[in-house]
Amino acid sequence: MSRDLNINVHHLTRVEGHGNIVVNMKEGVLEKAHLNIVEAPRFFEAMMKGRNFQEAAIITSRICGICSLGHQMTSLRATEDALGLDISEQTYLLRKILVHGATIQSNVLHAYFLAAPDFLNVGSVFPLINTHKDVVVRALRMKRLANDIGDIISGRAVHPITTVPGGFTRIPEKGELLEIKRRIVEEGIPDGLATVETMKALAGAIPQFERETEYISLKHSDEYALYDGEIYSSDTGATPVSKYLDVTNEFIVPHSTSKHARNNRSSYMVGALARWNNNHDQLVPEAQKAAEELGLTAPCTNPYMITIAQVVEAVHCMVDTITLIDTLLDNGLKDEKPNQTPTRYGRGYGSNEVPRGILFHDYTYDNKGNIIEANCIIPTGQNLANIDDDMLKLVPEIVNKTQSEITLQLEMLVRAYDPCISCSVHMLDVKFIEE
Amino acid sequence: MSQLTIIGMGSRLCGDDAIGVHVLDELRDWDEPRLELVEGGLDALGMLDLLHQRENVLIIDATRMGSEPGSVKAFSKQEVSLVVSEDHLSLHGIGLTEALQLGESLGLLPQNLNFIGIQPLSVNVGSELSTPVQSAIEPVLQLVRETLNSSIKETEAYRGTGGTAIA
Repeated sequence: MSRDLNINVHHLTRVEGHGNIVVNMKEGVLEKAHLNIVEAPRFFEAMMKGRNFQEAAIITSRICGICSLGHQMTSLRATEDALGLDISEQTYLLRKILVHGATIQSNVLHAYFLAAPDFLNVGSVFPLINTHKDVVVRALRMKRLANDIGDIISGRAVHPITTVPGGFTRIPEKGELLEIKRRIVEEGIPDGLATVETMKALAGAIPQFERETEYISLKHSDEYALYDGEIYSSDTGATPVSKYLDVTNEFIVPHSTSKHARNNRSSYMVGALARWNNNHDQLVPEAQKAAEELGLTAPCTNPYMITIAQVVEAVHCMVDTITLIDTLLDNGLKDEKPNQTPTRYGRGYGSNEVPRGILFHDYTYDNKGNIIEANCIIPTGQNLANIDDDMLKLVPEIVNKTQSEITLQLEMLVRAYDPCISCSVHMLDVKFIEE
Repeated sequence: MSQLTIIGMGSRLCGDDAIGVHVLDELRDWDEPRLELVEGGLDALGMLDLLHQRENVLIIDATRMGSEPGSVKAFSKQEVSLVVSEDHLSLHGIGLTEALQLGESLGLLPQNLNFIGIQPLSVNVGSELSTPVQSAIEPVLQLVRETLNSSIKETEAYRGTGGTAIA
């Protein structure tokens, strides 16, 4: 069938031109299929130049309300690498808890607020308040727990301020850690398992679509890599974080103001599904069991399953946080001061797995501890080429559906990746009620 | 105990979107114990919990209300309908409007929820406020003074106690 298709979805944010899905098919030939996003990190270098090492993480945590903690962690690691600041084991463990909290929060919200409405065939989370109130309340309860984990460990959840280069300015108390542990045991894990059940009931609505691609994530010899590790590609194997530019190979495309990335092929995927594919055998048994329940096997090549991998990760992070708290308490909490005495000045690299995938920060400092050069590569930038390649394969496969069905399936695809639109603006939009 | 919680919303990296947090910067200098100041930043859903636990809240945010850039308007939750956008492709599309809608449906909003809205000129990436929005800071601060004084009077009328309003 030769068909004309013209899809132009541009409602991602309220800022014009910040996120469009554009698909053009003429007489059955696909001419265009891509996602356009403007990303704020292209202003990154200008924002960071001249900043002192104490400021870097604070500024980067403001790039984005949702990815705040991820940017902050990666920023701290880049600064510590550049200035030769070693951190203690206690700092390392506390930061891993922070990353777990942020992962739980983002993964859970994504599954409930973006994916579930699609699987239930409603336009948004709002209709679910009437039909599935307990589920919406559960989602918010899980978010609150994740928030509180961040608050307790870092002093404040959204823009953590006690997490500084070299350590923490305040160490949580034993009672606070025990309280987190109690809440994870009593509400977090039951809610996590209930989430698995909810998603299992909805799994039939996940579109069948397979496209094998290159999967890139961190990899660590001892654990499911989120805070630490080497870059790992399912095609080309391990690369040290300091050689990240050899992996990301950013390039400019005419249809987007955001750079794209490629390594071994025309595109690669980062995020929960890439992590699952590369590191699934390192998940805790409870998460392995959740994956089995949800029909997630490795390797998984269906991008719509990203949401399922996120739910599995949320279970992992809940359980592993308990282990981390136990380790901290077994070691005994030490009232340490952050190590802020630079042993060198130069270039340093940081990388973390943030909910949407692998994140890189790269700073060069002068000998006064001020930034001369800075670079940042966000997960969404790395996923853009992969999303385009997904759409190129997907559109011809579903071309016999109606235009609105095709549009929905493309939107669901983009939603599965949950692209970070860091400059999305959240101003209030009101209409005054006429008396 | 603080009598009025003020939440400043917005991204410091998105021009006039940051008006709420800029006003908060000014309010910190007042050192006023009756105010609880919260930088909401971009975590709108995170504000839901906080709203649920407070009685008297004033939210300051850039607001699209179809008026001149820099114009300032105080209004209550009852006076407006929120224009909720339901077609997000990303969690980043869920903002304060959507969070408030969710809060309303779930019965999480405080009794006394008021807003000061400032019409932005530009919310594109940049760390500066536009000139009209910059000059809106003073009128906003004046409105905060009035709101604080009136909320104190209300509290006094309720409790039958005396107190001092601030200048």
